[in-house]
Amino acid sequence: MVGGRRTYVAGVSRRGTVRLRSGIREAAISDDNRLRTALSEAMSGAGSALSAADLLCHACVELLQVDGASVSLTHEGSTQGTFGSSGEMSRQLDELQFTFGEGPCLDATRQGSPVLVADLDDPGENRWPAFAGALLRSGVNAVFALPVTIASQQIGALDLFRRRAGELRGAALAGGMLAAELAALPLLDLMSSDLDWDVAAQGGDGWEQLESLSRVEVYQATGMLIGALDIGPTEALVRLRAYAFSHGATAAETAWAIVEGRVSLEPREWLGPDGTTERPR
Amino acid sequence: MSASRERDVTRAFVELASSLANGYDVVELLSGLTADCAHLLDVASAGLLLADGRGVLHVMAASSERTRQLEVFQVQRADGPCRDCYLDGAPVSAPDLHEETDRWPQFAPAALKAGFVSVHALPMRLRNHVLGALGLFGTTAGSLSPDDLSLGQALADVASVALVQDKATTDQKTVNEQLQTALTSRIVLEQAKGVLAQQGSLPMEEAFTVLRHYARDNNLRLTAIAEAVVSRRLPAQQLLDRVRVRRP
Repeated sequence: MVGGRRTYVAGVSRRGTVRLRSGIREAAISDDNRLRTALSEAMSGAGSALSAADLLCHACVELLQVDGASVSLTHEGSTQGTFGSSGEMSRQLDELQFTFGEGPCLDATRQGSPVLVADLDDPGENRWPAFAGALLRSGVNAVFALPVTIASQQIGALDLFRRRAGELRGAALAGGMLAAELAALPLLDLMSSDLDWDVAAQGGDGWEQLESLSRVEVYQATGMLIGALDIGPTEALVRLRAYAFSHGATAAETAWAIVEGRVSLEPREWLGPDGTTERPR
Repeated sequence: MSASRERDVTRAFVELASSLANGYDVVELLSGLTADCAHLLDVASAGLLLADGRGVLHVMAASSERTRQLEVFQVQRADGPCRDCYLDGAPVSAPDLHEETDRWPQFAPAALKAGFVSVHALPMRLRNHVLGALGLFGTTAGSLSPDDLSLGQALADVASVALVQDKATTDQKTVNEQLQTALTSRIVLEQAKGVLAQQGSLPMEEAFTVLRHYARDNNLRLTAIAEAVVSRRLPAQQLLDRVRVRRP
């Protein structure tokens, strides 16, 4: 059993009633937990945000029955492009979307929901003529783009490539969604110019970090940074996270300190001495 | 049921029905609904927790916007009556939290520390989907009366209907998308509260009041105002000035 989950023994709850539905749910949860742990562990020990993204892509290939994976940053104002990949071929294919200005990753980011293409060779499939052609010539017949979202902002996408045509379903789709959630962490790190990776790498389990970033007080503190520094919500979150790491605190602890007025929000302390420090927007 | 309580219950349902019929902002409607629960039922505080696509619970609305009180709702991601209620799709009662520290090692101490002694959690269901749970918190030990529980369940059912706007849908994917949209609205609302609290040196609950008044005065949706504040299209000062003028 993983931390905090309720225990059911052979479909019988503690209260003694037979709960078949809970049993099925528990089976699904344990599958889900296996993937969660494997994906998060894959990133641990990375020496940089780029290598964390690469390791996550490798884990996708290993666990999700796909042949390639890549992570790209699409957040407006950031340096957009492919950052992590399972290999050179996936990286090159993914980058073509930025060259052509079309592709599932860009669409998934724009609409904030997955773009799943089971068969690129389908005559009805004509959304990205240039990009789809390049994929097919490389032997890729199916592509799945999952948006990477943090605090309601779309910041990038995880692309999964597969030679075999057919849908991505069941555990593979669920695992892809989990990987897309985790991908937010290296992408946030990439957006932070003054984040010390050695400190960030000690930030602990990816799921705990994501949990800490999705708390009410973090959203409120992010809003306070937006107001104090005149920056966008994603940059505010990036700065809160970097501040937390450099002070050995979690995002939630830092957020409480901000909300309770225990941290100065003076722009010169957050944006550098002249307030013009190079910063992601 | 006393005559005045009966009037209050009727008024609450008339207002909900009118919002549902005339178009509504989901955050505003659910905040009002938790306020109704706190007012109509024998509880001190009420909160709605919604599950995201992974089954993680998030605070969607609460009768109090005090940050520490919102914290008591969200601490139930690890354990707690709302989480159990969501997983089982059935009501959970805890008349005295002092006796529940084994059952909920993280939640029970946190709730007691915040001054709560009893909790009743009611499932938010829509046909075969469990969307989340309504948590009713009391500051004294004891069980809610059957009348209060059935009224609470009726309010939770209205909340579920309000959340899933496409009433015909039975598709899990569509339901999840609509819940995600509601959760996103709540995130943006929290961020907007932060912007106003910082710019106006206000407590978070007052920042919420400013947003709400401004939305009502201008006949705009709370979510739209919150988005405009967070994206800095609408200067926070404009809201603060307007509300100061309104309430000298």
